[in-house]
Order: sequence, then structure tokens, then C-alpha cells
Amino acid sequence: MLVRYVGRRLLLMVPVALGVTLLVFFSIHMVPGSPAYTFLGPHASHKAVAAFNQEWGLNRSLPVQYWLFLDRLFHGNLGDSLFYQSSVTSLIATRVPVTLSLLTGGAVLSVIIAVPLAAVAATHPGKLIDQVIRFTSTAGLGMPSFWIGTTLIILLGLVFPLFPVGGYGNGLWGHVDSMFLPCLTIAISIAPTLLRSLRTSLIDALGSDYVAFARAKGVGARAVLYRYGFRNATISAVSVLGINIGFLVGGTVVIENVFALPGLGQLMITSILDRDFPIVQGITLIFSVIVILVYLLTDVAYALLDPRVRLG
Amino acid sequence: MRINRSTIALASVAVVVLATTATAGAVGDGQAASSAKSAHSTIQRGGTLVFDRGSDIISLDPTQVADNESIWADECLYEPLYKATQNGKELVPDMATSYSLSANKLSWTFNLRHGVKFSNGQVMTSADVKFSINRVGAKASNPWTFINADIASITTPSKYQVVITTKTPWAPLQADMALFANGVIPDNYAGETSSVFWAHPIGTGPFMVKQWIKGNELELVKNPYYWQKGKPYLDGVNFVSVPDDNTRLLQLESGSAQIDEFPAWSQVSELSSKPGITMTLFPSSWTQFLGFNEQIKYFKDVHVRLAISYAIDRAAIIKAVLFGHGTVANSQVTPALWDYDSSTPGAQYNLSKAKKMMALSAYPKGFSTKLLVGSGNQNELTMGQIVQSELAPLGIKVTLQEVNGAQETTLQDESEFQMSFLYDTTDIIDPDELMTFAAAGGAGAQGTHAEFTNYDNTEVNTLINQAEHVLSMSARKAIYDKVQLILAEDPPMAYLFYQPFAYAYSNKVHNFFVYPTGNYHFENVWLSK
Repeated sequence: MLVRYVGRRLLLMVPVALGVTLLVFFSIHMVPGSPAYTFLGPHASHKAVAAFNQEWGLNRSLPVQYWLFLDRLFHGNLGDSLFYQSSVTSLIATRVPVTLSLLTGGAVLSVIIAVPLAAVAATHPGKLIDQVIRFTSTAGLGMPSFWIGTTLIILLGLVFPLFPVGGYGNGLWGHVDSMFLPCLTIAISIAPTLLRSLRTSLIDALGSDYVAFARAKGVGARAVLYRYGFRNATISAVSVLGINIGFLVGGTVVIENVFALPGLGQLMITSILDRDFPIVQGITLIFSVIVILVYLLTDVAYALLDPRVRLG
Repeated sequence: MRINRSTIALASVAVVVLATTATAGAVGDGQAASSAKSAHSTIQRGGTLVFDRGSDIISLDPTQVADNESIWADECLYEPLYKATQNGKELVPDMATSYSLSANKLSWTFNLRHGVKFSNGQVMTSADVKFSINRVGAKASNPWTFINADIASITTPSKYQVVITTKTPWAPLQADMALFANGVIPDNYAGETSSVFWAHPIGTGPFMVKQWIKGNELELVKNPYYWQKGKPYLDGVNFVSVPDDNTRLLQLESGSAQIDEFPAWSQVSELSSKPGITMTLFPSSWTQFLGFNEQIKYFKDVHVRLAISYAIDRAAIIKAVLFGHGTVANSQVTPALWDYDSSTPGAQYNLSKAKKMMALSAYPKGFSTKLLVGSGNQNELTMGQIVQSELAPLGIKVTLQEVNGAQETTLQDESEFQMSFLYDTTDIIDPDELMTFAAAGGAGAQGTHAEFTNYDNTEVNTLINQAEHVLSMSARKAIYDKVQLILAEDPPMAYLFYQPFAYAYSNKVHNFFVYPTGNYHFENVWLSK
């Protein structure tokens, strides 16, 4: 059942991703602004601009250009960047690990922050510690991620130089070291929502009849919390986390910008500003696939955690 | 219910992280100390200089780049026949050692430097120079085709001689030969295909490419065959793309970068008082102006253009946009260039004169117009608001037309604007490039029709053309002085201010210097430990 469901969702991904590329292709071409002027500079002659457009097929009709994009795509080729004049696939390939590790690391750290805090808050509802956690998480919710990032750099990169001030680092340890602050920035952005959802669900779960029954049967506090409380509270938290990661995919650019990370978001913004159409198309495709996969994984995790949910 | 201590401890750490993040915003502010540079008389070798800049290069091929990041980085790899002196007013030999000009003023014989090797050990010869210069205009879409447009032929009578013959006596040729695009690469790409060559290009410059992570970082290492013995002093230079102003500043402060290219103007004063950091404003060829499109009927009237030029308080704009770090412009040309005429009576802020000019125009009661500004470009938005309020007393109602950056460039280049903020810099120290693009107009204009303003002053066109063919420096200076005078009385644009090139760098960086054309060389730069 699960395999069939996943297979069907993966098949459905194809038209959805293509629909996204179609929408983006026409919308970016509708926005005025020519890549020729950006590439050739302010002193470009009309002859040079015409030659550039001819060379890159930009003088063809939009449907023809889109068809050529699809044709290349079905041959596993995303085309060449107008600016770097090299393959979009290779440009994106070097960026995907940065963005994926940012998202994954951010999600893991947000869980590490949110779960214990939610546990403490839910087990001390209304008490001082609960108030402090809720207040702090509300403050975290209100802080823009660029500000969180800059503050973390100042604090943990400059005042207490524990981590690098931006960049992706070299080698595995260099990457891990460099990615900690960006991931923490993401975690601080996501954790409050996750924490509040988890806290509410935990309080509900811990106040339920089956928990009262478990306690009456002499099950220990820790077992009640982890076996009955978290197991049930996690169901809604997984949805919250999945949706947040989905939103974050498009929002990584801010984090990448602040931490000078060579990820997909930064390349996307530069390419939109320069009108490097093939890169914008390629990254949109990758982003849409990532978002669809994250939502699919969320649904699968939901079904695995809640036996009442049947996928079909 | 009880939770174990480790869970509470972990929760406490998480709270502390959130709380400190919420309260630590002011850390690092308010530090004031001397930025006096440490004195080192002995050159120290080694080290890799990390150079933070707003964006990455787009190509290693100097004939294919129009963005400054690429141009200035590529100059570390390839060297042309001549280069500018630090004051930007003269040329000195680079790959050439001397030249002679034929009696008919058409054939330039350049004698090449002996013993120069490319970074693969191959000796540089005249065939390489010919191949490199010919590449500049090889394709119509090449951005620098115009610079070599007057070249009729290139011959190589010997291994160390190149003869360039021009179609007309061409005064800017020596300066044109100092353009980065004319930098020398091996003939026929040293036997490689073009694509293989540009993946790991070869030049005679002090550095060569170690790796280029596109969109992120260009890593250069020293060229072991560099012709200046004992140089470069650095082991390498890494140009790193760091788009965020604050991050560049923080990287400089933390020591993870040594140079911050173009810090935000709001940070300049603060940086100048930071210990361990040198903040320098290098004189530049950057002139900022407000262009009038003369396809719009109001701007055909010289009195309207003059009225607007007089109505703008340039000092207020400099204060608001550059935080005071600029100077009021009186000419198209900046004081950093040899053709600048300090006595040019360019229009300055004088509201009563502005009103008089407006009264003399065909539109004494004013009119409504649009001013193109880049959305998200805070400098242009601020300048736009100032211009908007300052033209109101003349009865000119200005609407800001906000468009995104790429659209703004397209609209400017296609003259689809009424008024627009534009700027000029020059890539060569000869005035020809700047004047051709900034002032020459008319049907035969090679340039941009006076920066897309469609200004067409026959006398200016004739003078600019004349200056291209007069070989005497003093005669050319007199011509350019006259052009500047005419442009002051019949301006195609309101000259606003001269903007320096701002660089913040560690006190450990020595001999770093930026030319008025914006480029920099690293063969003399060294890092103290």
C-alpha cells in the first residue's frame, strides 16, 4: 500500500514540477529586462545585443524557447548559463549539497532545541519555566532570520570566535564547522513554531485518558512522556516541521546571503537579477522537487506514526 | 511528573541560545581606536590574501567580461602591452618595453619584453600578442569590439616585435593597448581547444588559477614563471563572493578576510576608526549624474536641463547617499583623470539661477515627468526623493518610476526613460572611451549617444572625433577642455558627484592600491604576519 502510494506521488511529481517550470518560465520572461545588457555592460551596441540574443536563441518566440528547454530536460540537460557559459547542471550540482545540508542541519537542530523545551514546558504547564520557554520562543518567532544570523556571527564568530564568520569551509570538518551557525539560525526560526505545536500536543496527550490509565497501571513518568506523550504529540509536530521546511526551501537565500554560503538560493537570486533564464529554470525545478519530496516524506512519516492514517 | 536533569540542562541551553540571540545585537558597536597602519619596512613573503567582494566573476576570458569583478580579477592573470601609472595619468610598459610610430602616424611598432613566460613555462612572443588582440573583436557580441575598432591589421615582423596599423592616426592606441581585454594569452590557446583553455587559462600575470568555484570563489596561486623576479610576494589571492555588506565587514574584523571591497557607505566612518583596519577612499573615474532623455520634448530645451542642473543640491545628495564621502561634480570628467578641467563652470546648486533658467525655457510653468529608479536601490530612491522635492519649486512634478535592476538597465540602454540616474567610469586612462560614450551623439556616433540621452551637439561630436586623431597630448587636452566647457553650458545631464572607490582592509595588507580606473594589481602586495 505504502509503496503504491509513494510511487503514485512520485509520478504525480512530474506534472507538478513541469507546471512550476512552465509558470516560472513565462513569468520571468514577462518581467522586462534583457540578459544581454547585463552581460555586455552599459556600452553594448545594438549590434552586439542582437548578436548575443541570436547566439543564445533569445530572439526566438517564448513557446519555442520553452519547447527547447523541455527537449533538453528530457535528455537530462538543463542547458547552459548565459553568464557563466557553462552547464546549468554542473553549476547546480555544486550548490545542492550546501542547500540540502543547510535544510537538514536546520531541521535536526530545530528538533534538538524544540523537543526538550517542549517536554519541560508541557510537564510544567503554567509554571515559571513554562512561561520563560513560551516567552523566549515567541521572541524567537518575531526575529527575522537575517538578524538572528548576523547576531550569531557577532556573538559566536567574533566576540567568542568559536565558528567561522561565513563561508562553506574546506573538507568535511570545515563544512560542518561552517554550517553550524547557519543551521542554528534556521533552527531558531523554526523551533518556536515546532515547540509550541509540540507543547500543546504534549499537554493534550499527557492529559488524555490513556495516559491516566498508563499512570494508574504504574508506568513511570519518563516512559509515559516518551512512549505515550511524545509518540502522539509528534504526529502534529511532523506536519508542522514538514510545512516549515517546505517554506524554508524558498527562504534559504536569506541565510545563504548572510553567511556567504554558495547554495541554490543565492545562485537563484543572482540569476533572477541577471536574467540568467536557464539557471532560474533549473533551480526552480530542483526546488519544486525538494518541496514535493519533503511533503511526501511528511505524509509518509505521518502515516508511520499514526496507525489510524491510511495512505491511498 | 519529573524530568531528568539532562533534559532540563539541554532545555536550559536552548533557552540561553534563544535569549542571548535576542539580546546580543549591540555587540561590537562603539569601538573607537586608532586605525594607524603598522609600520613594516621589511617585505614578508607568503600567505594567501582573502579578498571579499559583493559578487563573483562571470568569466576568466578577458574579452568576454563587462563586470568589474571579472575585469579586476582577470588582471591578475593576463597582462597587456602597457599599464597605467598609479596616478592614472600616464602609461608605462608592461608586456612591451617601447614603441615607435611611423611617419604617417598609422603604424605602431611595439617592442616586446624578452624573457616573459606564461604560467605554463612557455615563452611569450609576438604571435601570442597578435592572437590575443585579434580575439577582442572576433565576434560581434564581444563587449570590447569597439576598443580595437580602428585597428586595420596586426603583423609580427619578428619574435619580439608587433606592428599594429590603424585605419586613421589613432591617438588612444597606446591606452587601448593597456586595456585588460588586450591582455596576452598564448597563441591558439597553447594548442588546446578554447573550452579546455578557459577551464585553466594561462597568462603572464603574477597569478594563475588554482580553482574557480563558480558563483562563489576564485582561488589564484602565484605564477612560478612570473617575469618580475622575486614577485609576487603572496602565495595566493582568493576572491570570495560575499554579497552581504555586514558579513564582509564581520569577516574583515574577524580576520577571515583581509580586504572588503566596497563596504556600505554607512560603514565607512565607523571602519576608519576600527583598530587593525585601514579604510581608504581611492580617487576614481566615477561620475554620477542625472541623465535627461532628449527624445522627450521638455529635455530638448537647454534651459530646462540647466534649470534642473542648478536646482539640485549636490552636497545634500552626497550627505544622504555617500554619508559625505564624495565630492561635488563640475564636469563629466573626474579630477583623477588627466583631461579634467577644474575651471569647467559646471552647474552648481543655485535656486535663483534655476528659476531664471526655467523662466527662459519654453515651459516656464513646469511640467510633469518621470524619473527612473531601481527598486531596492536605496541610493537611487534617496536621490530620487531629493530630486523630486528640489524640482518642485520649478513647477516640475517628478514621479519616481521604480523598476528592477535588469529592467532599469534595459530601459536605459534602449533610451526608454525620461530622466534616469547614470554613472560613468573609464576602463582606459585615455579620455576617448569616456567622452565617446558620455558625450558623443548623432547618427555616426560609435558609442551610446551620450549615455542614452540622445544628446547631439555637432561641435562636441566634431571635437571628440578630432581628439581621436590628434597625437599631441597638449592639443588633445585643449580639445577636451573645450568639450567640458560646452558640456557645462549645454549639458546632456546634471553632473552630481564624484564617487571614490571605498576599500577597507587589514593593517596586515601592504602596498594595496586601487587605480582611478578601479583595477588593482597584486604583484607588490604583501601580508605581514
